Amino acid sequence: MKLYCLSGHPTLPCNVLKFKSTTIMLDCGLDTTAALYFLPLPLVHSPRLSKLPGWVSKDGAVNLEKKELLDLSTIDVILISNYHCMMALPYITEHTGFTGTVYATEPTLQIGRLLMEELVTFMERVPKAQAATCWKNKEIQRLLPGPLKDAVDVWSWRKCYSVQEVNSALSKVQLVGYSQKELFGAVQVTPLSSGYSLGSSNWIIQSHYEKVSYVSGSSLLTTHPQPMEQSSLKNSDVLILTGLTQIPTANPDGMLGEFCSNLAMTIRAGGNVLVPCYSSGVIYDLLECLYQFMDSANLGSTPFYFISPVANSSLEFSQIFAEWLCQNKQSKVYLPEPPFPHAELIQTNKLKHYPSIHGDFSSEFRQPCVVFTGHPSLRFGDVVHFMELWGKSSLNTIIFTEPDFSYLDALAPYQPLAMKCVYCPIDTRLNFHQVSKLLKDIQPLHVVCPEPYTQPPPAQPHRSDLMLELQPPPMAYRRCSVLGLPFRRRYERIHLLPELARSLVPSEIKAGVSVATVSAVLQSKDNKHVLQPVPKPAPVPPSKKRKRVTEEPPEVLNPKPLLSGAVPLEPFLAMLHKNGITEVKVEETADGHILHLQTEDVLIQLEEDATHIICDNNEPLRTALRDLVLRFLQKL
Amino acid sequence: MDSDCLSLLPAVCLVLADPKQAPPDDTSLEKLLDWFKELHSQSNGQVLLQDQPCLLEFISSVCTSETTDPAILSFTLKLTGLLAATKQGFHLLEEGGLLLCAFEREACYVCDLWEDASVRSGWLQGLLNMLKHQKSLDFICRNGLIKVVLQLQNDRSLFVASLANQLLVHILNFLTSSSTTNGSDAVGSSVSSLRSDWVSVSSEIMNAVVEALSSEDHPQVLRGLRLLSLVLSQCGEPIRSMLWKDVLVPLEVLIKRGSESLTQTLMTVLQAADTSARPVEELLEAMLGDGNRKECFQCAALVVKLEKCPEVSKRKATGIILLPLQCVSTQPQTEIETYLVLNEQLSQKASCISLLMQSLSSLAELAHRKFLFEDISIHSITSSVVWLLRMCSGQCPSSLLRINASIHLIGCCKVQRCGLDTLGALSVYEENVDLRKDIFGVLLDYLQSPDSHATVLKKTFQAAVRWIAVCSPFPDLLQFISHDLFPVLEKRMCDLRWEVRDSTLEFITQLTTALNGNSGFTEALHTSGMVSVLLSSLADTEGYVRASAVAAVGEAVTASFHHAATERNSSLLEKALTQMMIALSQDTEGFPRRAVVKAFTSWLKGSHPVTALESSLSSVLSLGGNDFDWEVKMHTLELAEVLMEKTLTCCPYIVQNVDFSEKTRLTQALSRLKDYGLFDLLFNSLLDCDRPVCEKACALLVRLRTLTAETADLDHSALVLNVCGNRWGDEVQSRYLNKQQA
Repeated sequence: MKLYCLSGHPTLPCNVLKFKSTTIMLDCGLDTTAALYFLPLPLVHSPRLSKLPGWVSKDGAVNLEKKELLDLSTIDVILISNYHCMMALPYITEHTGFTGTVYATEPTLQIGRLLMEELVTFMERVPKAQAATCWKNKEIQRLLPGPLKDAVDVWSWRKCYSVQEVNSALSKVQLVGYSQKELFGAVQVTPLSSGYSLGSSNWIIQSHYEKVSYVSGSSLLTTHPQPMEQSSLKNSDVLILTGLTQIPTANPDGMLGEFCSNLAMTIRAGGNVLVPCYSSGVIYDLLECLYQFMDSANLGSTPFYFISPVANSSLEFSQIFAEWLCQNKQSKVYLPEPPFPHAELIQTNKLKHYPSIHGDFSSEFRQPCVVFTGHPSLRFGDVVHFMELWGKSSLNTIIFTEPDFSYLDALAPYQPLAMKCVYCPIDTRLNFHQVSKLLKDIQPLHVVCPEPYTQPPPAQPHRSDLMLELQPPPMAYRRCSVLGLPFRRRYERIHLLPELARSLVPSEIKAGVSVATVSAVLQSKDNKHVLQPVPKPAPVPPSKKRKRVTEEPPEVLNPKPLLSGAVPLEPFLAMLHKNGITEVKVEETADGHILHLQTEDVLIQLEEDATHIICDNNEPLRTALRDLVLRFLQKL
Repeated sequence: MDSDCLSLLPAVCLVLADPKQAPPDDTSLEKLLDWFKELHSQSNGQVLLQDQPCLLEFISSVCTSETTDPAILSFTLKLTGLLAATKQGFHLLEEGGLLLCAFEREACYVCDLWEDASVRSGWLQGLLNMLKHQKSLDFICRNGLIKVVLQLQNDRSLFVASLANQLLVHILNFLTSSSTTNGSDAVGSSVSSLRSDWVSVSSEIMNAVVEALSSEDHPQVLRGLRLLSLVLSQCGEPIRSMLWKDVLVPLEVLIKRGSESLTQTLMTVLQAADTSARPVEELLEAMLGDGNRKECFQCAALVVKLEKCPEVSKRKATGIILLPLQCVSTQPQTEIETYLVLNEQLSQKASCISLLMQSLSSLAELAHRKFLFEDISIHSITSSVVWLLRMCSGQCPSSLLRINASIHLIGCCKVQRCGLDTLGALSVYEENVDLRKDIFGVLLDYLQSPDSHATVLKKTFQAAVRWIAVCSPFPDLLQFISHDLFPVLEKRMCDLRWEVRDSTLEFITQLTTALNGNSGFTEALHTSGMVSVLLSSLADTEGYVRASAVAAVGEAVTASFHHAATERNSSLLEKALTQMMIALSQDTEGFPRRAVVKAFTSWLKGSHPVTALESSLSSVLSLGGNDFDWEVKMHTLELAEVLMEKTLTCCPYIVQNVDFSEKTRLTQALSRLKDYGLFDLLFNSLLDCDRPVCEKACALLVRLRTLTAETADLDHSALVLNVCGNRWGDEVQSRYLNKQQA
């Protein structure tokens, strides 16, 4: 069993598990941090941005975590754990010869589609006349300015995919529900609720005697999705652990409080608040929290704007996936009441959503306000416009809630910036404390995790509480590692055909345990093993056709009886005595005893799993002694 | 009423004594007993038993019956003791043989009733009730009841055991007090002066204590120690010194043996003993040991709290109790052996936290008494506390090699709260102001941290107020307040948790009070925009927060009085006054309305006249007086009191004219008060449904009357008529009638 690690990013994993001749890809996250090397793509021409020194900006760049470690066409199945971890799907399934199946839950598919479409829209609505690739040449790259010359693996940076590719990739998705057991070849895969986002799942990959759990992006906090299912993860041989919180020092509750107080402070002072965020996920919880907070803070009249090409679908989808929500929200559906309070915000006109800043938005826009828009990297999407619009006033505030990008790097092209910046990363994924409790509970034999989890964060080397400390220590992987997973396969399930079973003669060797010998032919196909009766030797055909050697059945011999039990020393000596052998010297050895029959000059070695009678050329005596030994043993 | 009750007594006794009747529950018996006690205390030597022979019959029948209910028997024993507390009562009961019948041990053992804990407790309580004169003590000694009491000291019921202890102490006390005060029985106060049969009693009890202390049985030792500490703390000489002499050796043995579960009790004993005595010092020394035992930390924490304690022991205990703190936050300089025990304790979460809390709270205790540290500088101690607080918020590693205590401490609210309390307490040491940068730094970190718990923030504010008050002379303080503190406070006033908003506002109020008169601070308060944030907090959704906001705004206005009346100040006053009047008339909750009236009162009390308030005073009095909340009414009356004082003693708004007679001045003042509606308020409040309000209004009216009466050559009736248009009595009566009709 091997694990190929195509991504070293702990929260955007992409691993391939080879297990029982099945090649399973676990997630395909897309690391877009390389976008930070590029200038923002403004929707409206920005004289300031265009004057910035730099190379000719190129269309959106993405970093695909993949190397020639593995032939993507050999992948049989891809398991997706949440919509953030599937953004690279078109790169895997398109133009690679991929013929397998992708498993995902319905919300993961639908919201993943929204996020992909959003990304594509962001890119395509500001098309670039040209694309440059020559600069990726090492010789040229070395001459480039700034951090660009130090960027690694620029050859793996790719152009953004198209809508057609997205549609084609998503057409390969097969939907599954939580705890639905899906057989794929010799293994069974089961998604379990992971509590992180709508439809997010952990996966169990198991055969009859082995169980691998894949935990990715799980949360134990009470937010909108269904809570995490933990008990099914018990008794795993190997647990692959990815997607822990990216900001272990920031507690989501505290950050939410920080978010609200900074927002209230800005609005009270007459400023606007900009929240760069993804169009699904934490935004639902933020809106819910603000729904309660704004009234209590006397800011009930402040409008919220949610601007994204998929804003409407995102808000509506969240309301229809009732079965994937937490119990509290599910029960609202029967009232009937929309599960999320943002429906009420929309009804009362407090929350308005627009596909883009163009159109209705510009006429209905009223300040001071709160704007939620993408992309969190500040390199593309409508957020670029608001940065240009509001950046100059110190009354305004930008609040970063997504932990995926370094906020200082994201802000770099907008400097000097007068607006206040607040960093409140809200990451509801498991923290180290929760993980160690979880692992104590589910007790996996081995844990595999990305390398960064095995040491304290580089910025805080003294925080030894922010790492995984396990016994045995976890196996760490980094990008391009290939790990041999440390478990021996000891058993295999084999089916007996009924006619063979009928021929067995079990004999009870101790209470409740019966044993039978079987002679059969083992047939293995598709990782399934069947014992078939030995075909009877066909009567020699009268014709003189030449027999094919391959069809010759194996010769059937009557099996010798199998012996079991142990030869007890004292009764055996007594037995020997009874049979006239009196002079016996007993010597104790590490494995048992050696009996020296001095008169006969015979040695009998009694060991735990073997008995030897050594006597020179005295066959009658040997047979007699053998029979004496056999009296103490059971025959099968 | 008592005579009515007494006439019922025979019937009650019959019911109680009847075993066939279901016994009433305990509480009614207790109430009956209370009534007897009251009757007994009022009897002035009259003996209840003589008038009520039914009681004798009752006692006799209950004590001789074999089918009595335990609750009734217990009640009877207590009652018998109570009745025997007077000499005559005792005599009557003894004559009838009832005392012996009730308390003699054989009598009690007759049936299985003794097995019931309530009977045993009643028996002890009866004896305790009886023990008011020597005859009762003689009775106890003569009948060998001391032995039973000593046995009961080991009773399985905690109540019985503790009552037995009390009785023993009471007996010992009685022995000494009667021998010293009653000359007819004994002369002098030495041991030999005790009556010979009483000497045997006292030695019997004391021997029992010594025996218990020497026992191997842990619970018995514990009981012995408890009795010992009771005797030492409650008994006088010569019993104290006699007992102390006897227990010294077993105590030493116990301390040497060193058992953690005894530490607390042993310390109580040592505390009760005269701590300045030489042997006590040695015992304390032995208990503290060399700081290398688990129990020595608990012991040191207790020693530090002792009021009277030998200086040497206190220093040693201080050294020991500071060890955990130093170990976690600095490199300790002590030997390795101490380390090992500490190491082990600090590596476990529970013991690590409890040790550090002990260490911190002891330090706070020492700071509270301004203890002078000698072996170690207060600087380094304070730095340790600051370091520990940093560690608790995950900023610093723990320094002790091999042990990473910080894992247990990061985010630990208990240690954070305790550490902040201690840090606040350490502000009493002047030397520490050198560390103010570090201290304010860590306090600011806590205020900024999004993860700080509401209670931790509250403690941070408390510590900050103390330090700001101490550091107010330093110019860098204002810089800190306006650049670092105010932005954080502004954010905290928008916090999700109302508790945080509330404590932030309270803090601002305290800060303004502490820096009252500091013009730089007042300036910063206005320029930083804090004032407008305070004003907007007046509209908070939580009533408590609005109340705190009112207080804070009130204080901010008071602070601005100290400076020249600028336009800014008057606009603040105007805004504040408008909003506070709205709060007083419209707020749905009582707290903000109370706060408004209190703020007005404090404005009025101040030395600077608040002219803007003048015009609103009559509406304040009428709104406050008609409020639904009685506390608002009380505060309004307090406001009225201040107004009366201000108006009557000197009238700043009336041009003082030498020609004005006293009478004219008073008349004018009274008519001003009438214009404010003060009399309406007082008369209305006099008939209020809440008693405190009526009392306060009445007191104020009485003061007014006294004042007018005292003023010389005053035509009383003319003045009164002039002011109110009616006589007071008539006024009150007419209002009362109006109210009745309504």
